[in-house]
Amino acid sequence: MHARRGVIIALVLTLLVDIPLRLNAQSVQIDENHAGYIPAISGGMGYIHKIDGGIPTLEPQIDPVLLIAVGSRILFESRTDFTGVYQKEMLTSGSYTGKVYTDVAFAQIDWLANSHVNAVAGRYLLPFGLYSERLQPIWIKNLQDAPITAAIGTRTSGSGDGFMLRGVATQRASYAIQYTAYFSVFTNITQLQSARTAGGDASVFFNRPRLEIGTSYQRFLQDHQINSVATYLSWQPASSALDIKCEGDYSYNGRGYWLESAYRFQNVQIPPLLQRFQVVGRWQGFFPLNGGGNSLPRVTTRQLDVGLNYYIRDNLRLVSSFGRTFNPQLDANSWNFGLTYRFLFPAWPKRAK
Amino acid sequence: MEFRTYLSFLIPGVAEEGEMTRLTISIVAILLISGIGVTAIGQKIMDSATDATKNKTAASAVTTAPGEDVFKANCSRCHAPPSSMSQRITGTVTMHMRVRARLSRQDEILLMRYLAP
Repeated sequence: MHARRGVIIALVLTLLVDIPLRLNAQSVQIDENHAGYIPAISGGMGYIHKIDGGIPTLEPQIDPVLLIAVGSRILFESRTDFTGVYQKEMLTSGSYTGKVYTDVAFAQIDWLANSHVNAVAGRYLLPFGLYSERLQPIWIKNLQDAPITAAIGTRTSGSGDGFMLRGVATQRASYAIQYTAYFSVFTNITQLQSARTAGGDASVFFNRPRLEIGTSYQRFLQDHQINSVATYLSWQPASSALDIKCEGDYSYNGRGYWLESAYRFQNVQIPPLLQRFQVVGRWQGFFPLNGGGNSLPRVTTRQLDVGLNYYIRDNLRLVSSFGRTFNPQLDANSWNFGLTYRFLFPAWPKRAK
Repeated sequence: MEFRTYLSFLIPGVAEEGEMTRLTISIVAILLISGIGVTAIGQKIMDSATDATKNKTAASAVTTAPGEDVFKANCSRCHAPPSSMSQRITGTVTMHMRVRARLSRQDEILLMRYLAP
């Protein structure tokens, strides 16, 4: 039994790695450039020291992404998050203790069917609002704490198991309309938990001002069936390193909003070392409905975050932030200090000529 | 309650007056950061009028290669370009970005030519 399983695993691994390599030579010629389709390992890693309401937490994290292309139309991609959470035994005193949590964020097969349609099957990140699919990776997010409303539209695990269609519906010189539609089934398998949901996302991107306006919808189709809606805006002016994002969310459990602004000094006429700084600010509010819950606060909560990041290199940065939470039960401070790193390299050695 | 922490500086409005003052202070902080950016835009425009080299950078949306525009218009909505990338994986990475950023086939090809000319 074990021998048979071993043979099957070996066969699958061979197919996953060897066939893409054989097909890739053709793809390079077809595309008339030097792009290669070797399997790649990407992702982010980091270490964050959090102090939330006076309680310190150490959070080392690594989130490798495996990319395997089969020709130029089929891609297997997977990301598994390994996050350590270590706190003092008595929360504020004692030695640190904790464990590493593992989560398969996505493991999907993409079929790049045509210029307008990409079909996805497997486990994928739920596309809801700006944060879940786009800003969540440790090396991307400007502030390490997620917005309060990130729990809206991403129940129960942040990922869905099923299928998805996504792409660009129409593209003109001045704008593009992009879309996503998905259906996820309920599963309770370890590492693959997901809820029965259906939903989608659509956004319009205006090229000249680099302004994106979008909306997301999700219908939660199990237990108490509810609707969740998000509307968002993202703006990166072409002549500046300014990045403004905001989002409003609504669900049965509450409604909220966040507004984030970040600026990198890379184009400002100051000493080069200072050009590597980035300042960030975010204001958010959440107002519970029907008692809140489902990972959302049960009382009205507002929060201010300010951050200062320093890019040692484009893929390596020091991060820091201060947050102040305001709610009727407890006003608390939170601090984050840490380091994030983004990696990207071939997963297969170069063949000798 | 012993876990509770407080602002290390005194702002009477924050401590006593509640919602409106907090909101005002927070919005001012957000606008301040936005203001830095907007001010920098203005500064950049002034610089660009007097310096042809800087002008080329400031007007990058107009003068850059199509593939770079694709990157700035799509990938840069979330992250900066990688500092380096092996050409052996650019096809794989752009396929990933085509799905993630919902690019057309044409944009994928332009992006590949930009990353692996």
